[in-house]
Amino acid sequence: MTAARTRKLPFLRVRRVSVIAGHAFTQLMRMKVFYFLGLFALIGIASNFFNAPQQSGPEALGDHGLDLLRLIKSWSIGLMTIFSVVIGIVSTALLLPKDVEDRTLYTILAKPVPRLDYLAGRLLGVLLLLFVSLLLMDLLMIIMLQFRMSIVLEVQASMAHARGWDAAAIESLRQDTLVQGPTWALQGAVAAVFLRAAIMAAIALLISTFSTSTLFTTVVSFLVFFIGYFQADARDFYLDGGQAGTSAFARNLALLISLVFPDFQLFNVIDAVIQGKTMELIQFVKLALAGLYYVVVYTIASWFFFSDKEF
Amino acid sequence: MKARYKNTILALGLLASGGLRLGWEASMTREMRADGLLAKPVKMSTRDKIGQTSAVVVLGGLRTLVATFCNLRAYNYFEQNRWSELAETYELIVDLAPNTIYYWDTGGYYLSYCAASYYHYDSTLPALRRREAWQSSIQRGRSFLERGAKLNPDDWIINASLGRILSDPNKILDFPAAAAAFKASADTGKALSYVRRNECLALARIPGREAEALEFARRLYSDPHNRVPVLCSVLLALECRADPSKNPMQLAISIFGNARSAHDQLSDYWVRVRERYPLDGVASALRNLEIILATPEKESAFKRPLQRADNPEDWFRKR
Repeated sequence: MTAARTRKLPFLRVRRVSVIAGHAFTQLMRMKVFYFLGLFALIGIASNFFNAPQQSGPEALGDHGLDLLRLIKSWSIGLMTIFSVVIGIVSTALLLPKDVEDRTLYTILAKPVPRLDYLAGRLLGVLLLLFVSLLLMDLLMIIMLQFRMSIVLEVQASMAHARGWDAAAIESLRQDTLVQGPTWALQGAVAAVFLRAAIMAAIALLISTFSTSTLFTTVVSFLVFFIGYFQADARDFYLDGGQAGTSAFARNLALLISLVFPDFQLFNVIDAVIQGKTMELIQFVKLALAGLYYVVVYTIASWFFFSDKEF
Repeated sequence: MKARYKNTILALGLLASGGLRLGWEASMTREMRADGLLAKPVKMSTRDKIGQTSAVVVLGGLRTLVATFCNLRAYNYFEQNRWSELAETYELIVDLAPNTIYYWDTGGYYLSYCAASYYHYDSTLPALRRREAWQSSIQRGRSFLERGAKLNPDDWIINASLGRILSDPNKILDFPAAAAAFKASADTGKALSYVRRNECLALARIPGREAEALEFARRLYSDPHNRVPVLCSVLLALECRADPSKNPMQLAISIFGNARSAHDQLSDYWVRVRERYPLDGVASALRNLEIILATPEKESAFKRPLQRADNPEDWFRKR
């Protein structure tokens, strides 16, 4: 099969891409990936009962309830990160080889479907899966958090009244507690988890275009994932001119890492949000644009490789 | 296209796209660090301490999750009285989650109160070593909280805890530092009202700053919510010190509202000698109040046992 015919077709037709995305989503659903949600729910609910004994005691009134909420967020977002990255990498790594194995790829590419549309559709299918998974996990987290927060607020209010706190003090404590509940900033953190998983899916797609096996794609993608967390260190090392006595080779290596790999530390905003920091909309928009940039660049790179690949 | 050319073009494309983002990635990181949204990179020493597996998890943006586990580990150390490991674990925890106030507060409490008390009563050690361990635990707790306060200037809890340690007669008293800590806490505008009162009470115990404390106490007293016994008693003492010609009893009745209440609350205040509150005019006020209230001698405030007047240094000398 040659790619000459498909190259002339207009790229990225929404309908075409969405059909391929829908197919990829259905294909992944059939692999029963949503079973992990049961595990998430189980661990999430268990985190409610996972209190350190030091958290009790009247002297901890101010911070006690807040730490319980922080604990639930920390567990939930942590699990979301792990699940989303694993699903993003593994499901993308599976798609191309499976299409080749099932011969679906030949059927699709024999039709007037540009290869970019095929790749974009497959990637969107994975992103849709990630979105739905995270949405469900997010809902579970919100329910647990809201339920626990209402108990915390109730206990705090009764304890504060019993101690004769004035209205301003009670309100201040209430506000501190609400910040630890389900906020928009927390939704921003969940979106950051999605963006990171989306980038990893795009990278896995790029690797799968030249890889020979699913295992290779998965392993290399995870390596890229971890290197991505050192990218910021490498960049700082390069931009700061390195340390005294470092070789030009070390600086150039740092530059290479900075240029090729994405900066995953940017998405660590989730830690600050768990601790109760607020993420402004503009900051989230910048983060989303950064995520989009990475996804687009790695998808274009995948297409470049895949455009005239012979099967 | 030949594979060699293709690979070269792809590599160049990736490098070019990397070059495009290098600048904004760096500025975005700086901006987010300045806003407190991104923590500083995990130090190599921290990575070593938490082990390879956890380091990977931390790098994966799950610092708070690792901090939660470390906090559980610290509780085990607390139960086993392994204070040195506990201190190290809390150093690690706050490296991972520097903006979680709970960890600063709990770590400071464990070190300044629990570890210090443990060493105070540790019969296996000679007095000098107990004293040294007791002192260094308190100092460690103090510097821990001071670091937390510096890193979280908008928080009131850490400074309030620091002020409490520094004005505790069972610890190492430092009223100027305590007043500064309470002030920093109250100035956040989020603190409970007792913090401002504690600032005033610490100020009243700093030699040479009594006039400042008097003005402060008057301001606080003007709000009925602040008329707690200790503040009223300190106000009386400061007024008497500023103007010894004032009649302490009349002043006490006007401050406390009536003679009975003045007598009862000043009696309690009189015995709190370890806390080093000013006592100007208090004895005179009590004596005259007891006359007009016809208090039987056995119920006299002067018959009540005073708090032990020794300071912590004496504990180690006596044993």
